[in-house]
Amino acid sequence: MTKRSLVLFALLLIFWIFVSGGLNFQHIAVGGLVTIAVVWFWHDLGPKLPGILHPGELLLLARCLGLLVLSIIQSNMAVAKTLLFSKPPVRPVFVMMQPPLKTNWGRILLATFITLTPGTVTVDLDPKTGEFVVHALTEETAISLFYWKMINRIGDLETYRQRRTGHVVDTSRVDDSNSSGAFSSNYRADGH
Amino acid sequence: MINWIANICFVGSLFAFSLGTLGLFRFPDPYTRMHAIAIGDTLGMGLIGFGLFLLSSSFILRIKLVIILSLFYLINPTMTHLIAKAGLIHGTMPVEGTRLRKG
Repeated sequence: MTKRSLVLFALLLIFWIFVSGGLNFQHIAVGGLVTIAVVWFWHDLGPKLPGILHPGELLLLARCLGLLVLSIIQSNMAVAKTLLFSKPPVRPVFVMMQPPLKTNWGRILLATFITLTPGTVTVDLDPKTGEFVVHALTEETAISLFYWKMINRIGDLETYRQRRTGHVVDTSRVDDSNSSGAFSSNYRADGH
Repeated sequence: MINWIANICFVGSLFAFSLGTLGLFRFPDPYTRMHAIAIGDTLGMGLIGFGLFLLSSSFILRIKLVIILSLFYLINPTMTHLIAKAGLIHGTMPVEGTRLRKG
């Protein structure tokens, strides 16, 4: 029983109590049993979860989320404008980019944020080279992606964490042959 | 007053979901349609959540709403990414005129 499993157990139990909405013996007993089962089932996942977040990191993450909300609203407007007022043939773009992020959790964070903003979807992410393949609805969204402030903010978060822990902890590295090169082997081979 | 703000949120989300549905018909291929649906999924869902948050009667209910919304915003991009990648792996062609840009 590691510290991580205990933290996971506590978090899941609190979640259960909020969702079930009852604080009697039956609720807690059932929730405890289910939570133990879940923690046991996912015990391999424990070491792959990121560690406890520092207050400074939470602040940097909050900055990222603030920018995300703003970007979601802005890009919603942009996509709605394209949808309503553009001439019928939309001209989407596949963007290949390599943002200067060093860790895999930083890349995954950026990929999630890119997909969350309408107008851009992360199609592929190579864990070895850190190359993103992003489908963008218009040329403008594609270009603005390169200058998105989010990349720098996630970079700040990475450097902060790196300075705090002393080295880049990257336990999320997976060797998944499916997750790399799907784009290059399928798309470019067809001569597009 | 709170009722009014909540109602405005609901009307806004209705508008967002309608735009997404319109996009299903107007956009030519699965990849571009995903962008249209994303309007409803992000703005529409967020507005509904905010409206319900304002109207909910108890504190527990609000926490539940926040949990549901954050789970939604975690699962949504993951599934979108999976659909796009599955399309690419299985050879779904993007619409004619799609360009490739290297940065």
